[in-house]
Amino acid sequence: MMQMAKRLGLFIGIFLAVLISLTALWSAVVPAVTRLVAACAAPVFRLVEAENVTHVFAQGDQLWVYRAVSSHQIAPFTWFDRYTFFAVVPLIALLVATPGLRIVGRLWRLAAGCAVLLAAHVVLLVLQVELAYAAVGLSRVWMLGTWQVVVRIAWEAAPIVVWVALTARVWKRWLGNVWKRQQARTGARGPMHASLAESEEG
Amino acid sequence: MKTVKGRPSLFPSSLQKWPWGSILTVGTTVAVLVLIVNDEGAMQWIQTALATITAGILTLFGHAAVVAGSTVQTDVFGISVVTACTGLFTTGLYVIAVLAFPARWRARAIGLAMGIGGIFVLNLIRLVSLYFIGVHFPGVLDLAHQGIWQAVFIVFAVVLWLLWAGRWGRARRPASKVVS
Repeated sequence: MMQMAKRLGLFIGIFLAVLISLTALWSAVVPAVTRLVAACAAPVFRLVEAENVTHVFAQGDQLWVYRAVSSHQIAPFTWFDRYTFFAVVPLIALLVATPGLRIVGRLWRLAAGCAVLLAAHVVLLVLQVELAYAAVGLSRVWMLGTWQVVVRIAWEAAPIVVWVALTARVWKRWLGNVWKRQQARTGARGPMHASLAESEEG
Repeated sequence: MKTVKGRPSLFPSSLQKWPWGSILTVGTTVAVLVLIVNDEGAMQWIQTALATITAGILTLFGHAAVVAGSTVQTDVFGISVVTACTGLFTTGLYVIAVLAFPARWRARAIGLAMGIGGIFVLNLIRLVSLYFIGVHFPGVLDLAHQGIWQAVFIVFAVVLWLLWAGRWGRARRPASKVVS
């Protein structure tokens, strides 16, 4: 238990150190991230809309969504602030803090994680805008409220799901070792202690 | 076709391999979350309760606060508790992680109590801290609100789950024998 607490303490420490460092850099990188998301989202909007009415632009650290109001005119519809895509920071911090990964494996996971999270953000952005059109009566979506909540959950869950998918095996091994140590300890203390520990653990 | 010993199955082995329990758990928890968030009365109640407790804590710290709906207001600053500030989504994800993990129901109950209670307390700390950041460091309020605290919530839920899984989450069910 003590060893597990120590390991998790180290995990939290590294996570916080990386989080603080990357947060300090966020202002510098957010315009590039926003430009990248806008560049990826534009073709997706063209793909999902029968008549392409949505145009996305990165303006500094904000992502602006414009909608065509006539054949020659577009008007601002909504915008996303500089923290919309911040989830990449905790994802990187989680991957750096994950114990038991070699450098190559960690770098591979960082690259794959950032790419998958970027793709998820693009999909969620498109979904959120299309649902917003329905919310103001510009289109119709069946069970609109439900889909809006699902998309909000997905925004929150995206970095965790990506991290779990990339590191599940590592944690499975780690938990296996924790349980083995527990079992060895309860076994070493004799049958009475073992049965007490058993009943404690439920 | 693979069958569980002594119990022939109607379903093909490819379908039997799917983690149906986990899929059902995720679906049910998301459905419950959607129902709660879409229920204006329930959300209003949760938001007002959080605002009232936050106002009470702020008053203890010498900042006499009043609650109007889901807004906590003092003479110098005010915060509004909206759906995203309730910690419901993080709690939902934690609940899914505990229920989908192979463990005994008593262990799961311990995990749920730990997580729901822990996230609730952390959320109160978050709301109170955001108030004080808004009063003393308004320039970093957005960063703290949308950046730092979101990340802290993630790592808190993850560590809580790992602690639970390490201590109570061990599956002790005998493995079912599969024969070809």
